[in-house]
Amino acid sequence: MSDFFSIFQYQFFQHALAAAALTSVIAAMVGTYIVSRKIVFIGGGITHASFGGIGLAYYMGLNPFAGAAVFGVLTALGIEWISDKGRVREDSAIAILWSLGMALGIIFVFMTPGYTPNLMSFLFGNILTVGMTDIRVLLVYAILLILLFVIFYRPILYTAFDPEFAKTKGIPVARYRYMMSVVMALAIVLSIRTVGIILVLSMFTIPQITAMLFTRNFALVMPLAALWGIVGSVAGILMAYVLDIPTSASIIFFLTMQFLILKSIIIIRNSMLRKNR
Amino acid sequence: MTEPLVHLESVTTGYHTTPVLRNVDLEVYPGDFMGIIGPNGGGKTTLIKLILGLQPLFKGKLHFPAGRPRMGYLPQASQVDRSFPITVKELVSSGMKTRKAWVPFLSASQRKRLEGMLEEAGLSGYAGKPIGELSGGQLQKALLCRALIDNPELLILDEPNTHVDKQFEQELYQWLQQLNKSIAILLVSHDIGTIAPIIKSIACVNETLHYHPSNQLSEEVLKVYNCPVDVIAHGPVPHRVLKSHDHE
Repeated sequence: MSDFFSIFQYQFFQHALAAAALTSVIAAMVGTYIVSRKIVFIGGGITHASFGGIGLAYYMGLNPFAGAAVFGVLTALGIEWISDKGRVREDSAIAILWSLGMALGIIFVFMTPGYTPNLMSFLFGNILTVGMTDIRVLLVYAILLILLFVIFYRPILYTAFDPEFAKTKGIPVARYRYMMSVVMALAIVLSIRTVGIILVLSMFTIPQITAMLFTRNFALVMPLAALWGIVGSVAGILMAYVLDIPTSASIIFFLTMQFLILKSIIIIRNSMLRKNR
Repeated sequence: MTEPLVHLESVTTGYHTTPVLRNVDLEVYPGDFMGIIGPNGGGKTTLIKLILGLQPLFKGKLHFPAGRPRMGYLPQASQVDRSFPITVKELVSSGMKTRKAWVPFLSASQRKRLEGMLEEAGLSGYAGKPIGELSGGQLQKALLCRALIDNPELLILDEPNTHVDKQFEQELYQWLQQLNKSIAILLVSHDIGTIAPIIKSIACVNETLHYHPSNQLSEEVLKVYNCPVDVIAHGPVPHRVLKSHDHE
């Protein structure tokens, strides 16, 4: 048992827990917007397209996250523009950008001379290698997001729920939607560090649908999703340590189990209530 | 002479580059209660979206002679995502036009107006509940509150009687008749039979628009208007059209 608690003394583990908590907070806010607007597929497009940026940055010897951020933001803005203009089917456009990003990433990584040891960490994440700089970046972004959602809560909610009606009330819908696209892309790219490209979307959806089992109030879904995200990711990290399995997969497994268990409890409770009526 | 709230002159509008409505002339005056009827795909929703500023104008002129009126809008029920996590209170308050949309909280007067509106609609007990917990009729009431909370001069409703029971439909029509004492109303419906008793005039919309200054239409006139909808009245009815057309 003392062996188990000794892990908490290590700085890398403390960093991992802090990164998991901060990523959960960021994903909770942005994910609530994504799930509410039913644009999870767009999130997937942004995530995978950002791999093209990682590959290009590798090839050019730049910071891979900067490349991912540029590709992610451009993809998000492109998808919003396509959705706004409606000239191409939105789902088809997302699929094209999704696969193009992955293809570019693979091509650039292949063209990069030498071995690319960190590539797997971008695909599957490696929260145990998170440094203090990463945590500072996550913390600043989390604070900025909280301020953004507090100050612009109403227009964000109104434009997400019914953009046409919001437009009739003089709200600059396109401006808010493009702003949220950038916010979404940066949140996804920053979270790639924690769970990787393949699994990052889970952080932006599973805690939110878990929170929505208890409330259908946008303002309450966000903190509740953050709570479920933190509980699930911390439990996932601990399970990964105990069983010596990949951390990101363990986090997603825990988040999913959390949802399934709570959903089952609610179903059983509801059926018992119906029987007792 | 009272100025019209809305004046459309030879307007053509549509989606992308495809026109849906051509050469539309229409004037909406204070106190009007106009039923907009026509077949599905005829351009009824396109017309109201043009007036609301949601649709591009391809040709012609859209004027607001007395300045752009405050407009309340109730969209089709199918356009509303009932699974979205938004409360009734938030839904209704989204109808308040404010220059400071970014201020996170409502002012005291806005809160008072909101509470009054919910009480009038019998929705006070549902204020904090998500819209997914409302019945079809309650949701329509909440959406109507959202349309009315900004004290509109022109109320535009797009098929408000779908997904509601007959009792609510009657309640809704009574409410609209009351509102029409101070607000001009445009009511889109594919069923003239149910709205004829409450409207004062009719706009038949099917690729173009024929205005009819009465709440009754004969089948013959509808044929001439190329407006295949149900009718409840027969026989010759005097009418005025803004767009010229020939008929017996």
